Amino acid sequence: MSLNQRFPLGDAIEVDKLVEELRAEPVGGRLRVGDPRVVEFLTKFARKLLAPATARRFPELASLGFFLRKGEIAKALSTLETSGDALRFPRGLVFHVPPANVDTIFVYSWALSALAGNHNVVRVSSRSAGAAETVLEALNAALSEVDADTAAAITATQRMVTYDRSDAISGALSVAADLRVIWGGDASVAALRKYPLAPHARDLTFPDRSSFAVASVRGWQNASEAERRGAAEGFYNDSYWFDQAACSSPRAVFWVGEEDGAREAGQEFRKLLAEVLATKQHVTEPAMAVQKRVSAYGAAVDGLVSGIEFQGNGIATLELADPAVLPREWLGAGTFANARVDTLSDLVPIVLRKDQTVGQFGFTKEELTEFVTELAGRGVDRVVPFGSALTFSAIWDGYDLLTEFSRLVTVQA
Amino acid sequence: MSVFTLSQAEREKSLLPQLAELTAHHRENSEGYERILSSLGIARDASFASIADLPWLPVRMFKTHDLRSIPESEIFKTLTSSGTTGAGASRIYLDKDAAGAQTKQLGATLQEVLGGERLPMLMVDTIGIIKNRRSFSARGAGVLGMANFGRKHTYVLDENDQPDVEAVKTFLATYGDKPFLIFGFTFMVWQYLYEVACEHELDLSNGILIHSGGWKKLIDRAVDNTEFRRRFKEDTGLTRIHNYYGMIEQIGTVFLEGPSGNSLYCPDFADVVIRNPETWEEQPVGEPGVIEVVSTLPRSYPGHVLLTEDLGVYNGIDDGDWPGKHFSVMGRLPKAEARGCSDTFQGAAA
Repeated sequence: MSLNQRFPLGDAIEVDKLVEELRAEPVGGRLRVGDPRVVEFLTKFARKLLAPATARRFPELASLGFFLRKGEIAKALSTLETSGDALRFPRGLVFHVPPANVDTIFVYSWALSALAGNHNVVRVSSRSAGAAETVLEALNAALSEVDADTAAAITATQRMVTYDRSDAISGALSVAADLRVIWGGDASVAALRKYPLAPHARDLTFPDRSSFAVASVRGWQNASEAERRGAAEGFYNDSYWFDQAACSSPRAVFWVGEEDGAREAGQEFRKLLAEVLATKQHVTEPAMAVQKRVSAYGAAVDGLVSGIEFQGNGIATLELADPAVLPREWLGAGTFANARVDTLSDLVPIVLRKDQTVGQFGFTKEELTEFVTELAGRGVDRVVPFGSALTFSAIWDGYDLLTEFSRLVTVQA
Repeated sequence: MSVFTLSQAEREKSLLPQLAELTAHHRENSEGYERILSSLGIARDASFASIADLPWLPVRMFKTHDLRSIPESEIFKTLTSSGTTGAGASRIYLDKDAAGAQTKQLGATLQEVLGGERLPMLMVDTIGIIKNRRSFSARGAGVLGMANFGRKHTYVLDENDQPDVEAVKTFLATYGDKPFLIFGFTFMVWQYLYEVACEHELDLSNGILIHSGGWKKLIDRAVDNTEFRRRFKEDTGLTRIHNYYGMIEQIGTVFLEGPSGNSLYCPDFADVVIRNPETWEEQPVGEPGVIEVVSTLPRSYPGHVLLTEDLGVYNGIDDGDWPGKHFSVMGRLPKAEARGCSDTFQGAAA
């Protein structure tokens, strides 16, 4: 049972041999935190993703390319600067298990770990298609554009592989790793946890999450026509890009403020959203339209909703009977629970540890900070404006990833 | 007493008040159904101008939720089926009256093509399918339900799912010179009965075949309904062939293929609406859409107006073998898929 090497392209390899190769010291010396060879390679790779043809075909790759530009990388690395007695080093060998169906997560996870100076093995899903294939092509192409020593160091330390389900391989990679990174939700975490780690190693897990949106009634009333339209457009990107099934896509919208204003704002917002769908020529497949009705009617049977409204097949709005009981599961692309609360504080008791992203419109930084302070770590890892829910960042699910991917050594004379 | 008599105008007139009354009855007796309709803003005293205006439920609701209009104490029979769309099995609750009504109306529907008496019956299945009476598959339920309409049952397959050619030959020698009934699922009828009949040159010309279950498994053999009928006629002499369309969620209601073939008809207590999947408006003749099935039978559960997950098309209205709308089934809606963060996508993404 061997692994296929997708990046750098190579012959099929047995797992023991792969681990042995990854453990070896590369030409030009061990990788360091912020290693210039890694930076050089990532910069070349980013340029390929930002090429107009690629960016047009896969907008999510353009975001990725943007994230890996030289300036952005420098900014991220500056957060790792240590002072006093501490020095920062890579963790060692990192085994990444990304999700099968969000094509770009594996790159973010890998790139940050490589920047921290780790040797990495990434299990790319054999089911991956489209954007993931393009990423692998770009990685391999970038390898031939950096200088020979850099290419040799990257080839020696960074591997992306595919293999069919195999206890032997997953087991060997797990026990060899200094850090294991598991994306893809509860089921993936449970599946990988079966394989023991070395005693000093640990898991960084990304379990099932859910997200919601908040909109300030006053903020909406004070917003210009263009800002309101922008909110609808941003919300469209947040929600419809991955069929509303991404962990960061909002499943519910809470209007915060007084009743009449909330009703009017909500109606206007949905009208604008419908216009965005029309402009983007968004298509809801018949099966998806039926799925949305099954979910919506089901929520009614369960007593969760007091009203259901369809704007064509694209937008289904479920008026919650009680804001405190919101559906967190996926209900079909473009299905939003809707509720009103008086203040952000009213949402505090509703929040669960599972809640990840709060998309917001119309609040001040002070209001949001106060809300998060009041949450006191109950849940919610990030608050972002409408339109940024799917934007990946180096701080994710409450982890500062570069910090997680590195370790500190202290020296006292 | 035929149940294929009502023109479309007569059908509207006869069924609409009954269906409106059923809608009110289910609102009164099924809390879940009432919650759906009131969430949609349909008033308790709403009136409906036509059958197509009645609110429909997606058939999959019966897989995800228990919906019934009878108290638990009156449940006489619970039917379960696992469909092809996953999401578990449908659960359909019948009380004594409903169980009686569905058998009676299925009988009345089939009588149109079988005549009044029970005929000797060839089952294109294995007796094993109904051996375990405690739990049987949808196929077993179909076989058992149909068995009532025949006598002297002979099974075409033995216990090992192998064609029992001797049994079939004996059956034909005994009963083959008068009308006899054949029942089975479409792909099994093709795979076992047609192929065995060809190989052994059996004469099925006195047979009346009732079959159902879709064409998916026959597509790779390039057999559609027309081809199915033609080959049976040419190679076995069988010409009285009636496909039917029905589902456990509307048990007792079957849409039956007319004598000239290639079109399904509604019995007098049922109707069909083909809907445009974009606007959900009714489609004109010749325009494909999603099939909605309508029947006055479901009284113990709110299944009188159901949107299926099948695509179909009206072939005509009041211009076929029997009065009313007649239509064809064109296949299933593809499954709704979503991309998400979860590796194993089960309706709740990470």
